[in-house]
Amino acid sequence: MSIDMSQFYQVFFDETSEHLSSMETLLLDLDVDSPSLEDLNAVFRAAHSIKGGSGTFGFTDMTSVTHVLETLLDRLRKEELQLRPDMVDAFLAAGDVLRAQLEHHQGGPEADAGEIEAVCARLNQLASGEAAAAPVQVAAAATAPEARRTLLDCVLPASVVNDSDMLKNLLDGLAEIAALDIRHRPDAADPRLEGVLTTLKSDDELKEALSFYLSPDEITLSDPDAARETHEVVAAPAGDDGFGFFDDAPGTPAATEASADDGFGFFDDAPGLPDSALDALLAAPLAIPDEDRGGAYGLFEDAAGKRENLPIRDITPGNSPAAIEGQGYGIFVDAPCGVGLFADAPGSQNMLKATAPAPLGNPAGKPTEEAPGRRLNDSPAIETAKTGRRDNDKTVTAANSETSIRVSVEKVDQLINLVGELVITQAMLAEGASYLDPVQAEKLLAGIDLLARNTRDMQESVMSIRMLPMSMVFSRFPRVVRDLAGKLNKQVEMKTIGENTELDKGLIEKISDPMTHLVRNSLDHGIETPEIRVAAGKSPKGTLTLKASHQGGNIVIEVIDDGAGLNRDRILGKARERGLPVNDAMSDHEVWQLIFAPGFSTADVVTDVSGRGVGMDVVKRNIEGMGGRVELESSTGHGTRTVIRLPLTLAILDGMSVGVGGETFIVPITSVIESLQPRLEDIRTMAGDSRMVHIRGEYLPFVSLPEAFNLPGVEDVTKGIVVVVETEDGKAALFVDELLGQHQVVIKSLEENYRKVPGVSGATIMGDGRVALILDVTAVTRMGLANTRRLRAA
Amino acid sequence: MEHSDNSGTANSGEFLTFTLGAEEYGIDILKVQEIRGYDAVTKIANSPPFIKGVINLRGVIVPIVDLRIKFSLGEPTYDQFTVVIILNIGKRVMGVVVDGVSDVIQLSSDNLHPAPAFGSILDTRYIVGLGTVEDRMIIVVDIEKLMTSTEMSLVEAAVA
Repeated sequence: MSIDMSQFYQVFFDETSEHLSSMETLLLDLDVDSPSLEDLNAVFRAAHSIKGGSGTFGFTDMTSVTHVLETLLDRLRKEELQLRPDMVDAFLAAGDVLRAQLEHHQGGPEADAGEIEAVCARLNQLASGEAAAAPVQVAAAATAPEARRTLLDCVLPASVVNDSDMLKNLLDGLAEIAALDIRHRPDAADPRLEGVLTTLKSDDELKEALSFYLSPDEITLSDPDAARETHEVVAAPAGDDGFGFFDDAPGTPAATEASADDGFGFFDDAPGLPDSALDALLAAPLAIPDEDRGGAYGLFEDAAGKRENLPIRDITPGNSPAAIEGQGYGIFVDAPCGVGLFADAPGSQNMLKATAPAPLGNPAGKPTEEAPGRRLNDSPAIETAKTGRRDNDKTVTAANSETSIRVSVEKVDQLINLVGELVITQAMLAEGASYLDPVQAEKLLAGIDLLARNTRDMQESVMSIRMLPMSMVFSRFPRVVRDLAGKLNKQVEMKTIGENTELDKGLIEKISDPMTHLVRNSLDHGIETPEIRVAAGKSPKGTLTLKASHQGGNIVIEVIDDGAGLNRDRILGKARERGLPVNDAMSDHEVWQLIFAPGFSTADVVTDVSGRGVGMDVVKRNIEGMGGRVELESSTGHGTRTVIRLPLTLAILDGMSVGVGGETFIVPITSVIESLQPRLEDIRTMAGDSRMVHIRGEYLPFVSLPEAFNLPGVEDVTKGIVVVVETEDGKAALFVDELLGQHQVVIKSLEENYRKVPGVSGATIMGDGRVALILDVTAVTRMGLANTRRLRAA
Repeated sequence: MEHSDNSGTANSGEFLTFTLGAEEYGIDILKVQEIRGYDAVTKIANSPPFIKGVINLRGVIVPIVDLRIKFSLGEPTYDQFTVVIILNIGKRVMGVVVDGVSDVIQLSSDNLHPAPAFGSILDTRYIVGLGTVEDRMIIVVDIEKLMTSTEMSLVEAAVA
């Protein structure tokens, strides 16, 4: 059994993140009203695999989260519970938590423990949530959504205590910011004020509220339950810790629900108590008013307090408190903190084991034993606990059912390189064989033909390894849209078109950030709130469409919303404010371009969604960095369309090959406008040296490539060709010897083994195996003009 | 230069010797990737004359330096007997054109004598020492230091 598991960690990480993604996709696609059983099963399987894997590798924190997740899913797929939107939310949140935990195991920052607890509590509550208990939870949640409790302990000055008005003011003031349950009311004999505050405010804010009467140093604010622990020595550490779990979120539905449930367990045997969780909960403070020191200081707290104290007093000294805990709070054993805190208590990891010793050694075992028994019977926890052992066996089969393999990009690139070489070798062979007598070398030529076909097919399939479908990018947006729409109180439907369009992996990785930005923009600024939409005669639900398609050698990605569109006046107004040169006569197209200016934002309020003005300029820069372009179309009241055009891959370029002085150069086809043979009378000079070409009424700078590269080229202008290109500085006419053809070329780096060459953006290998340089038209134009000037001056 | 440590290992070991004109040079064999013939080189505009250009070495663009031009030794002729030594220096691949490759020899540090310091084209900084094998004098060059130097202008100034 001493196999080093760490060698399999990466497989687990990869698989788990795949499972998490598929889980998220499935959840987002779930129809809440009539979920398909198959989808629920698929989500369950994903969660189950994660649990199995994490269990095998000893990532117990993930095991415990998936366990509670699985518990709820199991009930859903067995149709014991009805799926509700809040459950989907909880599942998604659990997915996030798992992802954070996964990242932590991979060396990332530690997952937020509070968040994990909150998510588990939510799942537990949903899993155990009987219909009858639901109203109570809702009510409790409504009164104190995020409240926390604080024990206030201070000695009031005599002046305050003796002045009943002042004391009343103080207490009223406190009551305004916090629900106060006074444990000890100050009087002349004992000026101590003790009470439990249930509030949303921080400690500092509470101290400030009392600052009129007391200095902050004199006020003690502490955890009420921690304080009790010091009083009640009998409390078992494990039990207290388990209880501490609820302390962190006493006001959350989960905790109230849990307390209610527990109260139920212990009061079950008390005569005269109504046999329902709800009633027990309400009755608890009445039935046991004096058991707890301080009396009634919280509806649920009492119930919980009882639960904590009762069984521990009843047990015999020899009995393990951990066993009781494991039993009494069996359902929580699998909660992450449960596992973490009970970890050193023998038997608590496994609920089934924990319950076993209790009946034997516990004389008062009857009531306590019954409590979990009841709950377990109607809770799926026990079932999942049972299945826990089977999980480990299943991981092996899960790994076998993978249909894809993971290969490092480096290996793929190496393969692409080699296949490229093979294609060149094949071309050389074909050329060599073309001199052979077709009759004599019939078989050889047929073989070379076959080789040509095979290598071409092979090149295509190898190139396709690097290509990934756009759905890789699109798939993250349903979640983004859902979360954002919820935050912004908007109704948004997301559509995707052409998600199977393939794009190079490198581009896929780079495109998601700009796209996320555009989607957020559309949701925040574009799509209006339902009320405004209805008022404008539109359906309350906005539509966001993500579309990908091929157009020529480009891939076109569109982000379309049917929102309010861009506001021309507002953009112009903002632009004037920022001192940009604008006027009212500008075309719409020019106005839309303004939003790409750095720091430009039309949002009135800076939110956490957008409005900081860091954005469209970055989007534009990123996309241009990928060799693409962004365009905006907008119609006020009808929506906005952002179009991103990208080359299919970073590695391949459509180029026109030109010959200059015996060398071959590649001009990127995207920058070529036209090419033509100039007539002598079209060449004009300016100031005696700068030459211009007159093409259909336009005078373009004439750049001689032979001069730019100091190569021997044709002297006679009319024997060469000018290629009109679009540069960053405007159009220019590049003069070359001849046009050779048009190719798709694989871009190779010159800098890898050499260094940057002026006027050249990279290199490629031509069909004959020779290297050709790819021109950077802007740089070469500047260089050529400078060279010409120098030559003329000399 | 921090490469000086490497010359410690290069002091004794196997060296590939090649000729430039009448002189014989040696370089650490571990830096040599392969030896091949000289073929179609694509010129790089506006580069020094000793940089012949770049070639396609199985999909990798490799710059070629003609050491004969650099050190004004031998006749820079290019035919089927012209030899290119492909070097693997650091993470870079580069080729040098020489008159001919002669031998692989063993040299211990005892057989190496420091080169006298006098102003030659080949700075003594790049010479590990002079070795003697059967009356032949072999100039052992720290090829890594030489090829990455700024005067070769093979790498960006910042890298060198």
